[in-house]
Amino acid sequence: MATLGQRSDVGEFRRRYRWLVLFILSIFSLFVVRLFLMQVVHGDIHEAQARRNIIGETRLATTRGVIRDAQGKVLASNRPSYNVYVVPKQLDFEKTWPLVVGYMSLDQQSAKDIEAKIRELALNERRAEQQALIRVDVDRDIMATLETHRDELPGVRVLPAPVRAYPYGELGAHMLGYMREVDAEILAERPEGGYRAGDRLGAVGVERRWESYLKGQRGFRRFIMKKTRSERIEDLEDRYLGEGHLQEPAPGRDISLTVDIELEKSAEQAMRGHLAGAVVIVDVRTGRVLAALSKPSFNPNVVSGGSGKAAVQEAFNRYFSDPLKPTLDRTISAAYPPGSTYKPFTALSGLEAGLIQPDGEVDCRGGWEYGKRYFRCTGVHRGVNLHEALVQSCNSYFYELGTRIQIDQLAELGSRYGFGAGTGVGVNPEARGRMPTRAWYTRRYKGAFRGGFTLLAAIGQGATTVNVLQLALAYGALANGGTLYRPQVVRSIETSDGTVVQDFPPRVRRMVEVDQPKLDLVRAAMVDVVLDKKGTAHAGRIEGVDLAGKTGTAQVSQLAPRGSDQANVEYFNRDHAWFAGFAPAQSPEVAVIVLVEHGGGGGKNAVPVAMRIVRDWQRMKAERLNRPATPDAKKKKAGSN
Amino acid sequence: MASSMSAGRGAPHIDMPLLLVVVVLSAIGVVNLYSATSAYVGDTSGHGALAGIYVTQIYWIVVGLLLAMLVAAIDYRHFERLAPILYVGGLLVLSSVFVLATDVRGSSRWIRFGTFTFQPSEFMKPLIVLMVARHIQNDAKVEERTLVDLAAPLFFTAVPVILVMLQPDLGTSLIYLMSALTMLAITRIRTGSVIWGAALSIGASLLMWNFGMKDYQKARITSFIDPLKDKQGTGWHAFQAQTAIGNGGLSGEGFMQGTQNQFRFLPDQHSDFPFAVFAEEFGFLGCVGLILLYGFLSIWAVHIASQAKDRFGAALAIGSGAVIFWHAVFNLGMSMGVLPVVGVTLPLFSYGGSSLVTMLFCLGLLMSVSMRRSG
Repeated sequence: MATLGQRSDVGEFRRRYRWLVLFILSIFSLFVVRLFLMQVVHGDIHEAQARRNIIGETRLATTRGVIRDAQGKVLASNRPSYNVYVVPKQLDFEKTWPLVVGYMSLDQQSAKDIEAKIRELALNERRAEQQALIRVDVDRDIMATLETHRDELPGVRVLPAPVRAYPYGELGAHMLGYMREVDAEILAERPEGGYRAGDRLGAVGVERRWESYLKGQRGFRRFIMKKTRSERIEDLEDRYLGEGHLQEPAPGRDISLTVDIELEKSAEQAMRGHLAGAVVIVDVRTGRVLAALSKPSFNPNVVSGGSGKAAVQEAFNRYFSDPLKPTLDRTISAAYPPGSTYKPFTALSGLEAGLIQPDGEVDCRGGWEYGKRYFRCTGVHRGVNLHEALVQSCNSYFYELGTRIQIDQLAELGSRYGFGAGTGVGVNPEARGRMPTRAWYTRRYKGAFRGGFTLLAAIGQGATTVNVLQLALAYGALANGGTLYRPQVVRSIETSDGTVVQDFPPRVRRMVEVDQPKLDLVRAAMVDVVLDKKGTAHAGRIEGVDLAGKTGTAQVSQLAPRGSDQANVEYFNRDHAWFAGFAPAQSPEVAVIVLVEHGGGGGKNAVPVAMRIVRDWQRMKAERLNRPATPDAKKKKAGSN
Repeated sequence: MASSMSAGRGAPHIDMPLLLVVVVLSAIGVVNLYSATSAYVGDTSGHGALAGIYVTQIYWIVVGLLLAMLVAAIDYRHFERLAPILYVGGLLVLSSVFVLATDVRGSSRWIRFGTFTFQPSEFMKPLIVLMVARHIQNDAKVEERTLVDLAAPLFFTAVPVILVMLQPDLGTSLIYLMSALTMLAITRIRTGSVIWGAALSIGASLLMWNFGMKDYQKARITSFIDPLKDKQGTGWHAFQAQTAIGNGGLSGEGFMQGTQNQFRFLPDQHSDFPFAVFAEEFGFLGCVGLILLYGFLSIWAVHIASQAKDRFGAALAIGSGAVIFWHAVFNLGMSMGVLPVVGVTLPLFSYGGSSLVTMLFCLGLLMSVSMRRSG
């Protein structure tokens, strides 16, 4: 064949072969580099991904710690909420649904509403297959009935979900707090918290402050996803799961509070008839908070989700539109003018500065003229000395002192007793209150400082504000001879079997330098506030209740002038009624502060509340002395008081 | 190496290095296929048939080797005369796909003969190589070539490229194109023409993208740029293949121990991603070995071309080698995530009779050229 013999010139190609070889070498070299990066340099990343592909993880739920009061009574615990679900597609409206309505004893209207909802979902292709929640937190009986008849009810399921339960409901809710669903911010910013979408965490109060102790540690179980031949699973488990494939969940720590829920209850009962206010009772020997009541309150069971998400929303809408602000913790998060309850501190300032003598008299003619203004008194007391001025709450006496004392002297003594600064209680944000100084006024009011400011500060009005807990601790210091304690809400932390992990001893915030004889003078006056016939608290006293203290009527608005009939004044302009005191009058144990918001005169409105609380406290104390351990507190020691 | 074997001594000598590499690659390929499909042993969910395909693969290797021996025995210059007939015949069969084809995943590539299917686009690969080689043989022009001079070979390539694109099968058309271009690259072409050609092909690609390509093809390319955007589709496949390769580490998980494969995270592990199976089991060291084998095969083809005694033989060797080389490059590249997933097989590794026979046919041509080299 001719073509076979033919030779053609291949010389043209010669120079190009080496380029081809170079090209081949460089491409495959790049592949080797790429493989080196993938397999050797970043091999661990890919290995981790490969493990994630085959290893599944089940989360093991933990239980949140229980919160108890000082007597061991459970204030917050966990319970299952039985929720009823329906898969719309599987539900037989003719046969099954009437049974469900019957077992759940639904009334006609809600049965109709729910049926309409399910029928609507059944039309949606995707959601028809999914479980739809039709009823939250049904009774145990209904749950049991539905479970018993499970076989007749295809497409109906009852599933438990853990919810937080507060047996005492609204009582002490501000201090305890509630639970809320974790939000995207926390999920994103605190991955170390271990929260997943849908988890709940403490929102306010102790639940929030002690969240890290209460929440516990979730566990997990890792397993090989069975997508391969089953006989290899065990080998694979050994090879890929190793030791750390199971972590048992650790339950949260239990917390014992210093609060005594019985005392709290008695405070709540004593406050009935008043719209809003606060009661704080602290142990003057330790600074432990025995009761902290803020009124009105909210229902932590509902807002923690126990009745479903719709109920949470509805409750918050209601609370936030309420002018009385039920979610506000009035014991800590709000500051009020202390009014006359501040006078003992003014008196101490005057005595310390040597500006007043115990027996020096001031003639009260129903008020005090200062500059162009006239400062009113509560009455016409004529000649009063310090004792009488405190007992009868004479403003004129303190106005006179106010003309001579520097406002900074008042502020300095006040801050020694903890006013104007946070108490450090830790639960809930604190309104620090204010001890106005000359500098503060200069900043606040451009222009000359006016002496009238000092007169108002002397009677606890003007710019002076305190929070209820601050006042309780300061009165505690008056009562115990000058020891200002840090407030304490949590007594101890325990494991779920009751072993104490951490015990919190009382902490002293400051030893207030005070001359005991001077303090005794003031205390003696506070005893006579109740005992003396002219005392402002005398009318409200209860026989047998051993309580000393000071009343206060704090003016809120210029629209409610002193001495005017409070009933005619619009509610939010009415005066605050105060009583601040301690019991027993001799060798005091507790400080009791009662604030009736817009309650009017302190003697008339706040004193009876305080009297009833202290009466109950005395009764409880006597009972507990006779019966050291209550049945509720088997594993606890008897209360410290 | 064994380059001094002479045709002058009468009987042609078998190119032992070539034969050895082909046998080794085929053997590793079958073993790898056995492992790749072992996860389906006893499978009842409809994939159970996969478990036995390595046996079928062995049959096809035998068939392919016999064909290759036949091709090697024939003097390659006979193919020069046969090229136009084979080429036109191939085009006719390729066109018949549109009438006879069975759909596989939205593209019609397969023709069924009873129980037996084959893919005409595979067999077209060596036919294009033959046709372009014939053109190079007859084009004895001394000056640098212009685009006009290249019009004829480009036309021979373009016709099957377009037919295959219509199926649509992007990967195969790329193989046609790259193999033909590689063959033309050994001829002298004017630099300006190369630049013009490049510009024109970029323009054509843009037109293709806007008017010619189907959405799933575009998705393959976009998912290459951002693999995790589409967690279920092609990007997911590529991602899992890369995870398998990376999971191999330095020395691999061990034979039949790759979890990505055993737990069926690898898609098309027997056809598109056999390399991922291999890489997971044998690690970086094994991969380097495999790449050395493909690298040797590619360079050996250039070596054979350089020894060829005529232009047809040289071009045929380059073309046959280019088919093998580009298959390896596209397949390895897409497994490693440096190239889009275009569904190109790995020579001698991927399961499939058509692919295997075509590869062995090309290697037979290569052997034929090698056995009749100049002294």
